Amino acid sequence: MMSLTATDYIAALPQIFLLGMVCVLLMFAVFVKNGRDEVLHYGSLGTLAALAIITGELLRGHSIIAFNGMLIQDAMGDVLMLFAYAITAAIFVYARGYLKDRNLLSGEFYILTLLALLGAMIVIQGYNLITLYMGIELMALSLYTLVALSREDSRASEAAMKFFILGAISSGTLLFGMSLIYGLTGTLNIGILGAKLAATPAPGLGVWIGLGFVVVSMAFELGAVPFHMWVPDVYEGAPSGMAIFVGSVPKLAGFAFFMRLLAEGLGDLHGGWLWLLTALAVGSLFIGAVVAIAQTNIKRMLAYSTINHAGFILLGILAGTAEGYRAAMFYVIAYVIMFAGAFGIIMLLSRAGFDVEKIEDLRGLNERSPWFAFVMLMIMFSMAGAPPFLGFFAKVEVIKAVLDINMTWLAVFSVVMAVIAAFYYLRIVRLMYFDRADPDAPGIIATPDFKLLLSVNGLVLLGLGIFPGGLLALCKAVIGF
Amino acid sequence: MSPGAITYQALFYLFAAGIVFSGLRVITARNPVHSALFLVLALVNAAILWVQMGAEFLGIILVLVYVGAVMVMFLFVVMMLDINAATMRKGMTRYAPLGLIISGLIAAEIGWALWGHYLGIANTPHTAVAPAGISNTEELGRALYTHYIYVFEIAAVILLLGIISAIVLTLRWRPNTRRQDINQQLRVHKTSDHMRLVDLRDNSRGRKES
Amino acid sequence: MIGLYHYLGLGAVVFAVAVAGMFINRKNMILLLMCVELMLLAVNINFIAFSRFSGNISGQVFVFFILTVAAAEAAVGLAILVVLFRNRNSINVSEINHLKG
Repeated sequence: MMSLTATDYIAALPQIFLLGMVCVLLMFAVFVKNGRDEVLHYGSLGTLAALAIITGELLRGHSIIAFNGMLIQDAMGDVLMLFAYAITAAIFVYARGYLKDRNLLSGEFYILTLLALLGAMIVIQGYNLITLYMGIELMALSLYTLVALSREDSRASEAAMKFFILGAISSGTLLFGMSLIYGLTGTLNIGILGAKLAATPAPGLGVWIGLGFVVVSMAFELGAVPFHMWVPDVYEGAPSGMAIFVGSVPKLAGFAFFMRLLAEGLGDLHGGWLWLLTALAVGSLFIGAVVAIAQTNIKRMLAYSTINHAGFILLGILAGTAEGYRAAMFYVIAYVIMFAGAFGIIMLLSRAGFDVEKIEDLRGLNERSPWFAFVMLMIMFSMAGAPPFLGFFAKVEVIKAVLDINMTWLAVFSVVMAVIAAFYYLRIVRLMYFDRADPDAPGIIATPDFKLLLSVNGLVLLGLGIFPGGLLALCKAVIGF
Repeated sequence: MSPGAITYQALFYLFAAGIVFSGLRVITARNPVHSALFLVLALVNAAILWVQMGAEFLGIILVLVYVGAVMVMFLFVVMMLDINAATMRKGMTRYAPLGLIISGLIAAEIGWALWGHYLGIANTPHTAVAPAGISNTEELGRALYTHYIYVFEIAAVILLLGIISAIVLTLRWRPNTRRQDINQQLRVHKTSDHMRLVDLRDNSRGRKES
Repeated sequence: MIGLYHYLGLGAVVFAVAVAGMFINRKNMILLLMCVELMLLAVNINFIAFSRFSGNISGQVFVFFILTVAAAEAAVGLAILVVLFRNRNSINVSEINHLKG
């Protein structure tokens, strides 16, 4: 009979701490009436700061497998979690005023967001098919509720329903694939799975069928084709304060999910998932670039941009080399920073009773606020992949990884799609700088912490774009196989 | 073949056919209530097959929790929403060919792998899962509370989340709903708070006479 | 003799029925939810059969967790459905499809 030691609990300490704090904040949200919003807001931010300290303290070169192989604490997971904390904290700051104006800033927003973060952490640290599945479900169920949280808004509930149905279908197919992989290899543990497949020269057909089901349903996590339909509906239907979370932190978990299951567990079947992922990536790049052009709603446009970025992340993963995984990790981190900034701008320009919906709402932003027009310009250039911004290096790294495995056609295709996508990012820049502002557009009102954070968010894209070495070295250090 | 094996085989085919038949009725029934009831039938048949395979605990859980709670909740919602079954089915045949092709492909693919024994695993006759003297429930419990304790805790969090979600999405405080407020009831001190005398005029006589 | 492949074949057929049901009933939310339940039933049959025939209990543990999660999932899904119904007075997708582009 196995027993648990202190090492097990230390490896899971961030999760345990977060769960404890969620329970404390939940009790607070239920029983305290006065000053509830302030305490929840700063309590959540404090929790995230403490989590960052804990994870930073635990960050080591070697990895620990804890709880009988259910969970792994390694440098890749720790770095992804640190970025997840930072983005979540930024979202709390961005969303506060926006949600308050719409009477949506309830205790549940904080609780559900933190529970979704916990689910993302479980996926990031998962080392067993059961753990990965449970983490995905915890995250997904929190996200469905977050999207539906605005109860009187029928668009939000419709988006939540579509999101839920697609998520449930994708987890059903995921489980079907997992059942075949489990049955034919006899294990649920990622490490043992990898070792067993390495020892089997020719795995049976059933393993390949299972792999097909698993890979296709994993597309849901990144918002890639064929499970991409929820992305535009959720971004448009959900309040921006919820959509910003749905589009950012889960992507970090989705990347970790691909790393754990495909790279570490099913790495020996690379010949099979290479082509599946190629198909998903080509579909995502194409739909993300071409359909976005026709959009007049800025949130739907950003949704197709997310699908396009998911295609680029898949490019890095499908290479199946250490360079490819590093490039994908670099890309996913760059993506979440850009995405949070873009939605930050949307919430900055929205005010009580008015939501930025149309692309035209950004018209002449330069006259209204030159500085935030410049921040948005940096974000859009970075998303388009223009040098010297962060997004440029992310795209270069990913395309380099694809060229390394001699798939020149795919690299060329992705560059063409990036050029098409650049068109709609530049259209926003043109609107901001070369069109006249609506004369009765009100000034921009936001709290100082919001403005400061949004400025930092934009400058990070420029700073990391000029000096990408640090982040690249970090990705290199944590993915070492 | 021994009589026991023949009975086993006959029972398998009986209940497997039951699952497939009720599964088909779930997706084709005209009325959502019928669909839900056929889903219950499919689950009960599956529970019997699970018990046949020696997974007694899960078979019982499927009936008690799944049929007893989850499906009842489904029925409750179906009836509460009062869905118009006739309009529901309009245009249902439009995507049917595509669905039949895709599901046929899935069944054919897996069937082909099974038929040709391409799965890469022996079609071994069942061996006892549990060591002698340990029941299925005990074995499952031991695995759950030792090896899988971490996942067990996550399951608890997911159930907590389920409670929070269901409450936050559906609980409404309408101003004119009558509800019991325990705090208010306990705050009663004076005797006069307990009872209120209402002067009722006797107007029943007229009715009696009529 | 009933072997592993019989159970896997049953799982595959039930899974295929669930997928067909999703296409046939793609307009009706509550039936889509039932098809998801049917899909999970197919998965669970697979897991229990594999667990039984390999003498490895972890498949049954997985089924235990799938049942737990599915119960929570059904609660959340039905709650969203109720909210949607209150807002739109319909759960028919063609009537509620306002998000397009």
